[in-house]
Amino acid sequence: MLPSIDLRIANIVKALEQAVLPALTARERLAKDQVNLCIGHLQMIAQQWRWAAAFEAGSFQAMIALAEEMLPSVDASYAEELGQAIATAKAVEGHDLAAVEHAIVALGGLIDRIILGEDGQVALAPAIWEAVLSYGEKQSLRERTWFAATGLDPDRKELPSIAEVMAG
Amino acid sequence: MPMTPASRGDVDVWDRSEMEPRIRHILERTVRLRDTGPYRPKSDAEVMAMLSAFFAAKGLEEFSISDVERMSGGASKEQFAFTLNHREDQQGERLVLRMDPLEAIAQTCRGREGEIQSIMGNHMPVAPVRWFDADGDLLGQPAVILGFVRGVTQPSEGGSAGVSGMGGRLGSLIDRLAPQYIDALAVTHRFDWSRAHLRFFDAPRAQSNQAAIWQVNWWSQVWWDCLVEPVPVVALAERWLRENAPVCDRPMLVHGDLRMGNFMFEEPSGKFTAVLDWELAHIGDFHEDIAWTMQKLFGAWGDDGIFLVSGLLPRDDFITQYEAASGNRIDPVRLHYYEVLNAYKCAVMDLGQAMRAAAVSNNHQEVVLTWLGSAGAVFLNYIVQLIRKG
Repeated sequence: MLPSIDLRIANIVKALEQAVLPALTARERLAKDQVNLCIGHLQMIAQQWRWAAAFEAGSFQAMIALAEEMLPSVDASYAEELGQAIATAKAVEGHDLAAVEHAIVALGGLIDRIILGEDGQVALAPAIWEAVLSYGEKQSLRERTWFAATGLDPDRKELPSIAEVMAG
Repeated sequence: MPMTPASRGDVDVWDRSEMEPRIRHILERTVRLRDTGPYRPKSDAEVMAMLSAFFAAKGLEEFSISDVERMSGGASKEQFAFTLNHREDQQGERLVLRMDPLEAIAQTCRGREGEIQSIMGNHMPVAPVRWFDADGDLLGQPAVILGFVRGVTQPSEGGSAGVSGMGGRLGSLIDRLAPQYIDALAVTHRFDWSRAHLRFFDAPRAQSNQAAIWQVNWWSQVWWDCLVEPVPVVALAERWLRENAPVCDRPMLVHGDLRMGNFMFEEPSGKFTAVLDWELAHIGDFHEDIAWTMQKLFGAWGDDGIFLVSGLLPRDDFITQYEAASGNRIDPVRLHYYEVLNAYKCAVMDLGQAMRAAAVSNNHQEVVLTWLGSAGAVFLNYIVQLIRKG
């Protein structure tokens, strides 16, 4: 049997908790804090890694859907460029994480430009305001769920599980 | 979308050059120095050498530096405690060196921090400022040197604070801490900055939207300078903030980060020993401080299920007590505006500056930055809720 990702994460956490932390003196407060955060990150990564590519692809699909929703309401000066950007984005292979990240930057950059309307020179249609808010609501729920384990979200008890979010 | 009525002193809401000069200097310096990284945490020996050169330049004689100890806490500055003895102070003093890594979750000015903290020490408990080096001319990186203050930011028993002092519980000390907290806010806002001859601060015009636009330009420049990945809600919030910028009748001193985790007290009395972290202080609209402290991430749920502002008071009680202590009347429209602005600022810090600093390895504790960065979506959700409400 090859050592699995889960097993290796568990082993690293154990080593940090049972060998590294006890070896640090009381004066090494920053080091202790950082080891504890490393443990926290690793425990989160253990929950996330199986879903990572699918999560990123889901974020990308949501952004494409936002762009498609914006398209009928954008100023005419943006329509052709946005249409082409949507077509380019749809051609990206969803399983290629680097390609997806690159495409999010490209499509998101154009969406930002449309939202800002050349620094207020171009009006933003009410339908686009609503589309961005609706996208933001759904996307922030996904991202809050993804990182609920940090304990930073004051409303984390209301969040679904990662599996529920990924099931759509 | 709703537009705020124009005032005669208003500035163009899309004029990105409308920014406090010292803030522009700090942001430009950040971009200029970004590529000189990565940053490595300083060793005790390096800190000793930096401090020795600094105190020699300051003309201290027969000085010695001892017991250098790295401190934890904070998400922004690299901090070391040390003891300084010199000819004029044979007994010695325990001090704290608080210095900038190349990039942190918030890029701020040690000159502003040192200047305002020195002055506010005459009005409330703060850590005494001994020296500051605004641009790192002597120390090699910007820093402030403070007197060491004893105290805790969370009760030793049952406080359970998270990273950066957030999400803790103040327990049985609430009744003693809350009035001091209200008083700290009121004293800050009543402070007459116009007579203080501040060197590192400029003030926006009264009866103008300039106070709001200076803030929007500050944080939007951070966002665009740091952009790692586009976030449509952040761009939408920027547009909303520009198109709805309110007039500030009378600019006041704003602490900028007064919340749970940023005040220190002694146990068991609960008496404040220091109001901390003045690095985001500026002259602006007091509603900004009120909205900041009301953010959910900086509060806690009481045992009875009621949300407590900064872990201390229910929202309505907080407003009533603040108005009584300060004499300021809270305008719900402006409060709402600054709630959006603060959620935007936090999203920019978490998803912009923190991620950029972590990505280029320019901080001394990137694991903290990526931990805090994960809270960005909490603020995006607030932005959506608040804009919908507005």
